[in-house]
Amino acid sequence: MKTLSIKLFTIFVMIILFMSEGTMFYSFYLKSKENISDLLIDSIETNILNIKFFLKDHLEKNNIDNIATYLNTSSALSKTILAINLLDNSNKLLYSTDKSRYKKKSTVKCIRISEIQNKDIFKQKCYSVSVGTYSGLKRYSYNVNIYINHVYISSLLSDQIKKYSIYFILFFTVLMFLLWYILRYTIVSPLEKLRQFAYYSTKMPGKLLIRELESIRYSLDLTFDRMKKEQDELYKLSTQDSLSGLANRLSLLEKINWLISKGDRSKSEFAIIFLDLDNFKNINDSLGHEFGDEVLKIISSELLDIVRENDVVSRFGGDEFVVVLPDIEDETRVLNVAQRIKERLSVPIEHEHYKYSVTASIGITIYPRDGKDATTLLKNADMAMYRAKELGKNNYHFFTEELNRILQEKMHIQKMMEDGLEKHHFKLFYQPKVDIKTGKITGCEALIRLIDPKEGLIPPDKFIHIAEANNFIIPIGKWVIKEAISQIKIWSNTKLKDLKISINVSGIQFLDPSFIKDLESELLGVDPSKLDIELTESVLMSKYDEKLETIKKIKKLGLSLSLDDFGTGYSSLSYLKNIPFDTIKIDKSFMDDLESKKSKRFIAMIVSIVKDLNLEVVAEGVETKDQLEYLRKINCDVYQGYFCSKPVKAQEFEKLFV
Amino acid sequence: MYPISGGTMKKFIILALTVFLFYGCTLDNKHKNITLVTNSWIGYSPLFYANEKGDLKKLGIKLIVSGSLGEASDIYSVGKADMVSGTQHEYFWLKETTKDIYPFMLLDKSYGGDMILSNKNIRELKNSKKIYAYLEVNSVNNEILHYFLKKFSIKMNKITFINKNQIKIQELRANPQKPVIIATYNPYDIVLKKHGFKVLASTRDSSGLVVVDGLFAKIKILKSDKKIVLELKKVLDSSIDAIRKNPKKSYKLISGYLENISYKDFLNSLKKIKWINKPPKKLLSKLKKMGYSERYIIR
Repeated sequence: MKTLSIKLFTIFVMIILFMSEGTMFYSFYLKSKENISDLLIDSIETNILNIKFFLKDHLEKNNIDNIATYLNTSSALSKTILAINLLDNSNKLLYSTDKSRYKKKSTVKCIRISEIQNKDIFKQKCYSVSVGTYSGLKRYSYNVNIYINHVYISSLLSDQIKKYSIYFILFFTVLMFLLWYILRYTIVSPLEKLRQFAYYSTKMPGKLLIRELESIRYSLDLTFDRMKKEQDELYKLSTQDSLSGLANRLSLLEKINWLISKGDRSKSEFAIIFLDLDNFKNINDSLGHEFGDEVLKIISSELLDIVRENDVVSRFGGDEFVVVLPDIEDETRVLNVAQRIKERLSVPIEHEHYKYSVTASIGITIYPRDGKDATTLLKNADMAMYRAKELGKNNYHFFTEELNRILQEKMHIQKMMEDGLEKHHFKLFYQPKVDIKTGKITGCEALIRLIDPKEGLIPPDKFIHIAEANNFIIPIGKWVIKEAISQIKIWSNTKLKDLKISINVSGIQFLDPSFIKDLESELLGVDPSKLDIELTESVLMSKYDEKLETIKKIKKLGLSLSLDDFGTGYSSLSYLKNIPFDTIKIDKSFMDDLESKKSKRFIAMIVSIVKDLNLEVVAEGVETKDQLEYLRKINCDVYQGYFCSKPVKAQEFEKLFV
Repeated sequence: MYPISGGTMKKFIILALTVFLFYGCTLDNKHKNITLVTNSWIGYSPLFYANEKGDLKKLGIKLIVSGSLGEASDIYSVGKADMVSGTQHEYFWLKETTKDIYPFMLLDKSYGGDMILSNKNIRELKNSKKIYAYLEVNSVNNEILHYFLKKFSIKMNKITFINKNQIKIQELRANPQKPVIIATYNPYDIVLKKHGFKVLASTRDSSGLVVVDGLFAKIKILKSDKKIVLELKKVLDSSIDAIRKNPKKSYKLISGYLENISYKDFLNSLKKIKWINKPPKKLLSKLKKMGYSERYIIR
């Protein structure tokens, strides 16, 4: 069967409707014409009958005047009659209501009125009727010819034609609009929606009016649902490892390529952790492949548990796994993940009453420094993993040696800090603060030291920044507060009872919600004025308002506040104005450069400003007598430095005081 | 929203077409009234009875009562009526002028209903030098009058014929100075008798004179409205039976059509006709010989 467009179909329907409507209106017209015809016939018949009766009466009486008047009146009053001719039996004209034209009319053929029903009233121009009169028993016959006003009758018909033509056009127009609207609403629009749905398969149209279209919509919906499920299933099969359920190699490559594109745009980094189980072959050989598979499943599950939601864990093949860590800001996080993997795997796996310890060698690459494409990154990670294996297995190794060294050291220090806090390897050393005028020790700064049993003394610049990077500074800071306050308590009953101990507080500690609470609880039973908090400008750089609130709380506790290393940062006077510092400590670098006049002027200016602000001023890093003399000259209050003493243990400090 | 199936749409289209066709058929089949024109003759009482009972209306027949059968014929001849009642005289006249007239039912035979009245007896008339004869020339009166004059050997040359319809004729009063003969029929005779005229002869005592009344119609009506014509016959048969069985009740219904005659006159009038709605073959063959077409007559 030939197909038909909706447009063509609509045109066919319109043609059929046009023809049907045309037929309907034509039948209306014919009916109307028939009614007019009936009325005209009735009118003509009535007129003729009246004329016949009148003539019958008056012809017998020869009342010619009356006859003429009557015929003229009848002709004039009737719209349908144009003229009336009265003729004798031999068709001789006796009287005409239209004398001027009767001759012409006489050529018109008249039919008998009894035949009127069988003729077309709109074409017939004349009707005749015979009138018989009697004189005694003798009959006299006359004929009356009635001429029809054809113009008037035709105008009635043309009026009807006009009327029905207008009705036809109006009705047809309305019908077409209606048909168009119905077709559009019920068929065209739903079909377009179905087409879009079939093409894009996204926005499913609402329930449709036409049942067949509704069935199509419903079927499409079911089909798309099924297809989606099948698609999902296929996608899963093509992107997942069937054993572990992790992303497979293909999916991993896709993800890495995507991250490379993203990294190029946003300059972000990501890490690839290549993990190979050490001696996994032994598991398969000794406990069978089934057990080996179970081990792989458990490891997969462990890996998924370790990483974040947006990290990718993939089974690369056999006993090789790859973990991708997107958006890394520093390598510490990578290191942590690698460390967590190592630790988690160190827990023996228990399955079917067997316990088996698994270790893994891990190679790490970081995009973009260790490769610009997925293949290179994976290859280099593989190489790094082999390096880890060479170094004795159960270890991780970065592809870049320098980075590997730095990070390994970082991890080592981190480990030392954790051990140090647990095993009391941290110690506080105290450096005296000396009143320049009197030469007496008025206070001291508590400085943290890590003394590892193997490595010996680890200076703060080696571990503080690492502790700050992973928030380990918070427990360390707590320990410092606790230790310093404990020392205050110890000294409270000695000659050192008036000494004030300063401690350094990191910006991270300032943001710790429990900082004030901890400080408050540690200060119980201690004179708070004996504790001084030293801040550097860098602490105040970020989240200023938040930190200002903490400073106010510190002051409220009765502690004093010192601005450390003044002159090295912005040395913003607004800090001095807005923050209630008690002491300003001039940075050691000014003392080191005291030979220059410029440096001297700066120190003198700082001392002068601080004095004007009624704050105490402390010069740090004083190592020579000249430096001390100069400070005395410019009326500096206090100095701190090796000229008096290096930072020493509490016991040694006590001796200094003596 | 409930979806509409193709089936429902099909049903809807069929319904719309049915309504359209029904409307079309209604347009085409609007029935026209059939007009039947008659006069006040006692023999046409069944028509009046059926009209009063509403039977004619049910059949779509409109009844017109004219002053005379001559007028009724005129109305029929110009096409204002589709059926007409009349005697064989009107039938033959209309057959000659219109060509389109066919008897389809016989109603009655005059049995004294048509008559000759006069203010003189036969002898006085014979002796009169001048006699005025009133009649409807173009009616069966003419045949009756001629039959009478011939029967009683009254010379034609002393007769002055005056053509008038019966309504005018019934205004005449008997004047002893003016010999008058009137050809009339029931019920107009009743008033004339009261005006001093007496019956000299009638169809009761003139066995050679047959006056039958019937109904005539155009061929188109007999063919296209055959059912109505058959129904009309049944209705009129019933009406005749009703008039026969219960003349008093019938009288109350139709007296208005009969010049408001009394019940007694009504009963007398009925005696002056014989119902021939179920005509014997003998009568039909007699009529046939007269030139009466029997093709469409319903017996």
